[in-house]
Formats: sequence, structure tokens, C-alpha cells
Amino acid sequence: MPGSASSTHRPEGLIERLRSAAADGGEAKLKVLRELKNQIIGNRTKKLSYIKLGAVPSVVSILSSASSSVDCLLVQCAATIGSFACGVDAGVKAVLDAGAFPHLINLLSHSNEKVVDAGARALKMIYQSKAAPKYDFFQQKNIEFLISLLDKNNENVTGLGASIITHSCETNNEQKILANAGVLKKLINLLKGTTTQRDASLESFATIIQQNPEVITKFVGPENGTTWGSLLELTKDRYPRTRLLACICLTKIKNAAPSYLQSVGIRTKLILVLLELVDDFGQVGDEALFTLSSFIEHEEDLQKLAFEANTIDKLCHQMQKESLQAKRLQGIFTILANLCSNLESCRSIVLQSPKALTIITDALTHTTTDVRVAACVCLKNVSRSVKLLSAGHFMTEAVIMPVIQLLYDTSTSVQVAALCTVSNLVVDFRPHKSLFVQSGGVKQLVELSKSMDSSVRLNAVWALRNLMFLVDTRSKEEIFMEIKLFPLTRLVSDSNPSVQEQALGLVCNLVNGPLDSIMYLFTEEGLLLNTVGRELRRASKPQVLVQAMYVMCNVASGKEFEKEAVMHQLLSHSSEDDNTESIIVSLLQSDVASLRTAAVWTVVNLTIPTGAGALARVVKLRNAGVVSQLKNMVNDPCLDVKLRVRTALGQSMTFGDFST
Amino acid sequence: MSLFWSVIRQLAEIEAMATSKKVITRDDWEKKLNDVKIQKEDMNKLVMNFLVTEGYVDAAEKFRKESGTEPDIDLATITDRMAVKKAVQSGNVEDAIEKVNDLNPEILDTNPQLFFHLQQQRLIELIRNGKVEEALEFAQEELAPRGEENQSFLEELERTVALLAFEDVKNSPVGDLLDISQRLKTASEVNAAILTSQSHEKDPKLPSLLRMLLWAQNQLDEKAAYPRITDLFTATLEDPSV
Repeated sequence: MPGSASSTHRPEGLIERLRSAAADGGEAKLKVLRELKNQIIGNRTKKLSYIKLGAVPSVVSILSSASSSVDCLLVQCAATIGSFACGVDAGVKAVLDAGAFPHLINLLSHSNEKVVDAGARALKMIYQSKAAPKYDFFQQKNIEFLISLLDKNNENVTGLGASIITHSCETNNEQKILANAGVLKKLINLLKGTTTQRDASLESFATIIQQNPEVITKFVGPENGTTWGSLLELTKDRYPRTRLLACICLTKIKNAAPSYLQSVGIRTKLILVLLELVDDFGQVGDEALFTLSSFIEHEEDLQKLAFEANTIDKLCHQMQKESLQAKRLQGIFTILANLCSNLESCRSIVLQSPKALTIITDALTHTTTDVRVAACVCLKNVSRSVKLLSAGHFMTEAVIMPVIQLLYDTSTSVQVAALCTVSNLVVDFRPHKSLFVQSGGVKQLVELSKSMDSSVRLNAVWALRNLMFLVDTRSKEEIFMEIKLFPLTRLVSDSNPSVQEQALGLVCNLVNGPLDSIMYLFTEEGLLLNTVGRELRRASKPQVLVQAMYVMCNVASGKEFEKEAVMHQLLSHSSEDDNTESIIVSLLQSDVASLRTAAVWTVVNLTIPTGAGALARVVKLRNAGVVSQLKNMVNDPCLDVKLRVRTALGQSMTFGDFST
Repeated sequence: MSLFWSVIRQLAEIEAMATSKKVITRDDWEKKLNDVKIQKEDMNKLVMNFLVTEGYVDAAEKFRKESGTEPDIDLATITDRMAVKKAVQSGNVEDAIEKVNDLNPEILDTNPQLFFHLQQQRLIELIRNGKVEEALEFAQEELAPRGEENQSFLEELERTVALLAFEDVKNSPVGDLLDISQRLKTASEVNAAILTSQSHEKDPKLPSLLRMLLWAQNQLDEKAAYPRITDLFTATLEDPSV
């Protein structure tokens, strides 16, 4: 067939020749190596198939047996090994397993610069992979070797040094060791070098200062004029990637040591530079999105600046483009989510932007997990607006159905994000809730509330709690039928206090409203009420106690029977020892104002001076020391507590003051 | 570029003075031009930058000897780069790929788009030479996996393979691929990538400087009449038309 020329290019044939060349030696080696190299460069598929066929050990064996005087053979070996390691983790593993590492290191001290280049490139490729071994910075000789690399006047060798740092420097201690050994200074010097050197050193620089205020204070900062100045200057560099890396460094400085970078001028400048980089539709633009997002994440002022720089318009416009890559979408959604986390004006602009909501909801079904999560978080933050929520923008089938679908997602991170979004969407606003209930969302929420993963469980209960808030009686019944009594009881005594808190909040919302609702607590001989009472005596986290107390408070708003049940729970003792004070007295003495408020509210409900048992209850409370405790609280520092205490005391006084 | 900015500054000053359209005589203009101090070395660097970027290696070598201007790049690498460019321009794409890989294996390993375009050019050459079966095999083995990795590559690949479907390719909607301009496009993409890998700018500074000059003159035309340069080849000052 006419294509026979290319059939010699087939992996099997070439590998045969490679093996015999490795064994026999001679001139054939060079030729076959070059052929292999040209086959695999840029071609991931071929790399993988040659790795599978065992090409790497043959190449390494040629390298290890090559005399150091055959320069071109060394270069071809190193280049081939480097290409196997480039962008393919399996390749890095094969190269390391074949024992190439020490041979490549040897090449670095070769007299021929071309050999050094090839060796350094190959090692650099290895260190650019996650599969590379960690470099041990704790050994003095390793640090010395690293510095010797950075001192070389060869951009591949300095690039190797920088890659080692970027790959291996992770902990605070490692950062300190490198900075104190003078590595940071060397990197700063390299900023004056070629574009490649500048970019590589900016990248390692960012690694060394990341989340390390100590190193930043010592080596960077405005008082270290030159470094600071060069970084600012590089944000204006002619190369986009350099501008990006400079922005990344400054962002990391700001995030670790917020006192730097307070100047509004520089902050605005940085946002504008990043926004301009977003126009690049390659990797630089994608990374610019994530950098901008991290820059503005925790600071409302910065979010405002970004908003004023028209970030939203720009991103909403870009979002409309067809066939955006996953990273790009994820980045856009992440920034929008950040901006909408606090600023109402951002939320309305996003919602007004044509098709924005459609694009976000479409992305909820994107094939990439990260995109689904980002879109979901974005939707959640946009829906933080009470105004937009109550306008019913989100309780539509177009929004709700895909969100419910995400509750079934295989990825936990997607589920959690979806649960948070549901939590937001279902809060308040009765007319819209039924859609969610009818769409079968509750069933899956209940399913997830049984998850082994505590963050899934927590957020599922949270969503149910919000759904239960001010819901109509019929939906309430439906939801309760789904949750069922025993599982709910288990959630109230969950091993995770945060889950307990939400579960108690759910119970609180359940019993809130018409008197019938309270009856949920009394079925099965008051199982749920007893469980809540037990948690009041047992739990230690104030937020759990507050919620449990509000459950009691709601029940105490009922009639005689309910009030007596609460009395029974609250006047029991926190331990078996009868001499200790009752649970209500010890909670009234809490340091936590919100807990005191809840406890006093409950007493207010119990002492309402109507009803047959009112007097008896007041007497019981007095005997338990509640009234005298209230008297101690008339000047409580918390205004809310102070007011309720007075109400409670006033109510107990209606029956006369027995204190004398 | 100091030359450019000092001219701009002068223009700005003139602009500030101008209330209506001001006339500047040739004498005044030349006097002002003489006030602008331009280092000979800067001019030489500009020329060297042009020769290096455009790949005129012999001229660069002569110019280095005559003017003493050191190029910011090893002149030997220019020869290599030009050899790659020439290989693509004459349709020897495989040869070009091998040469690039000898120069720096990182270029094609870290630049999927360029790699794809070179492989695409290889396919185009096979089709041009009527090697249909070989072309199909090549498309399937080498290019199809790249298409799977990237949607836009897939679209380009489909367009290229469509060359096989037309009898009169030249007049088909994909005929432009067979055009010489496609080779030039690919060649200049490789050239740029090699320059970038050598930490060198992809474009010479001189043309953009000339563009800035034209832009500045256009701005000034609205404010003043002055001896302008219209013919860039001779750079003669023309008397202001009043």
C-alpha cells in the first residue's frame, strides 16, 4: 500500500529498532533516538503508547552507557526523556522508575552547553509534574545545590531551579528556609533576566511568599523598595504572562499580609490589569480570572472597586460567547459569585444582564464538576437578594429543576453546593415553596440528610430547615411525612453539633405556627420533645442549646398540656444529683446572650398569667430558683434579655410577690 | 523609544499652543527636530532588532561588524530559525518539525496549537501532492487524537479533510488552505514561537514605531500645518500646505 512509508513509523517497528540499537550500539542509536523523539514531541497519544511498549528504559539505558564525549547522543537522550516527562504523569513515573534522574543530574555539569540545556530541560519537565518526587529543602547540601542552579548563567538551569521550588515548597518552614538561605534574593535578581527567567522566578517567588506574612514582611513589602517596585513595574510588562504572574504575586502578598497594598490606586490598577488579561482566551486569561477572584474574595471594598471597573458587564458579555472552555466558565462564575456575595447592586446587574441567569442555570448541567459547583455557588449568591428572591425570580421550573437534579450528583462538592443553593432559594416566601415540594426536591433532601458525609448531611438538614420556615400547613405535613419522626430524632442527637443545631432549627420551624404544629413533638409518647430536652441537658455548644431552647419556647406558647410538658423538661436537673440547679436556671446564667434571651423568652411563655395552671407554674419556678435568678438579671448587659426579664418578672408578680 | 516620545512631547507642546490651526515653517520644524537628541546607539539597536527579528542573518552580521552593535541573540540561532521557516514555506513540514525539535524540544511539546497547525500543514501538503491514502492515514493517526483533545482543532481538521471531497479544490470553500498564504501563515506562527522561546519579541520594533509616527501625524494634522513625512521610504519633510 502507498502508505507503507509511514508504517515504519509504527510504534512496534521503532521499538524493535530501539531495543537492538540499545544493545548493539553504534551509529544506529542516534538515528533511532531522533526518530523516536520527533514522533513523541507534542503527541500525547504516542507518548502513552511508547511508554506502554517500554521505550523509556531503553532510552535511559542508552543514556547511562553513553560516553560523555558523544555530545549529540547525550542531547538526543535527554531530549527524548524530557519529552516523555512533558505533560504526561505516566511518563514522569516511567522516567523515574527507569533511573534516569541521576544521569540527567550528571549532564548539568557537562562542558558542552547544549548538553547542559537538554539535561536541565528534561529535569525541569519532571519537576513540572505532580508525579515528581519532593525535593528535600531541609538538607543543607540540597539547598546549596539549588542555589548553584539559580546562580548559573543559563536560563534552562535557572528555570530548573525555579521549577524545583514551585514544585516542592509547600510548608511554612520550607518557605522560611528558602527565604533565609537567600533564594528569594536570587529570584528577585532573576527578574532582570530574560522573559523565561522572569516568568519562572515570579512563579517560584509566589510559591515562597504564599500565606507567609513573616517572609513577606522580611523580604518584600514597600520598605524593600526595589522588590516592591519591580513587582509593580512588571504588572505593566509587555508580555501578558509576566503581567499575570506579577499580579499573582501582589495578590498573594495582599492575601497573606493585608496591610500591604492598601493604596486604592494600586488596587484599582491591579483589577484593571487583570480584567484586561481576561481578554486573552488562553491559559493566561483563565488564570487571570482566578487571580482576580482570589484578589477580591474576602474584601467588600475590593468587590466594590471591581464592580466600579465594570467587571460584571465584561464577564456577562464574555459569558454569552459560545463554546467557552470549562476553566473559563468556572472562572467567570467564581468572580460573579464573589461579587454577588455582598453587593446587592451586583446581583441586580447580573439578573438584568440578558441571558445571564439562563447561562448560569444551563451550566448547572455542565459536564465538568468544577463548572457545576461554580455555577451553583454563583446562583446561590445572586439569590442572596431578598428583593430578587421575593420577586420570584428563582422559584421557576427553569431554575429549580436543574438544582434539584444536582442533589443527585455523584460529586459531593456539587451536592453540597446545590444544598446551599436550595437553602437560599427555599427560605421564606410561601407562594413559591410549593413548586419545590411538588418537584420532588424534598425526597432527595431527606435522602441526603442521611448521608455519611457530615457536610452533605449538615447542608441537607439546613435546606430542610429553611424549607420548613413559614411554610403552609399542608406542605409542612408533606415535608414531615418525608422526613419521618425517627430519622428526625436521630438528627437532633447527631454526633456533629452543627448538624444538631440545624436539626433543632428545623424542629423549631416545624412547631412554629398554629397549635396543631406543636403536636408533632408529642407523638410516640413525646419522643421528639424528650430528645430535645435531653440535648438541653447534654449539649455543650451554645448554638445547639439556643435552638433547643427556642423549641421549648415555641412549645411553651401552647396550652396547659404543652406548658406542663415544658416545665417538666426544664425543671429537671442537668445531672443525677438533685442538689444541682435545674436546667433552666443554669441556662439563664449562661455567658452567651442569645442563650439567655431564648431561656427568658421561654420563661415568659410559661408565666403568662392566664390558664388554670398558671399560679402553680409560677410557684414551681420560684421554688426552683428561677425568679430569684431573674431578679439578678434585671440589669443584664444585653438589652433584649433585660426587657424580657422585666416582662417575665412582671408576669410572675401578678400572683403576688412571695419573696418576703 | 526615546526618539518617538520626545517627538510626541514636542507635538503635544505645539498642540497646547495651538488655538486655531497653526502653521509651522520648515525652519522652525527643523530647529525643533535638531533639539531632539537621539543616540546613535539607539538607532543602531533599532536596526539590529529589525534584522534579527526578520532573520536577515548576513546583514545582521555585517551590521554588527560595521556598527559594533551587539545583537541580543546568538546569530547562529537565526540561521536555524530561518531554515525552519523556509522548510515550511516550501512545504517540507516534516523537515521543519525535526529542525524545531532540534532547536528546542519544548516549543512543540508545550504549544499544542502550533503543533496542530504544523501537522495540519503536513496533511495539506500530502493532499496537494495527491497522496490520498497516506493523507487519510496521517489524518487518522496523527491528527484525529488532537481533535479529540480540542474542539476547535476538530473543526479545523474537518475543514482540512474536506479538501479531499472536492474535485475542483481551488474553487471550493476550503480552497484557501491550498493557497500559498496558508504556508506563510504557518511559517510565521513557527517563527514567532521560536522567537518567543528565545525570549525575543515576535515582531520588530521598527514597523510599530512607524505606525506610531503616522498616528501622531494624523492627530497633529487636525491642529497644525507642519512639514510632515508622507513618503516613509525617503522620509523627506514636505513643506506645509497653507
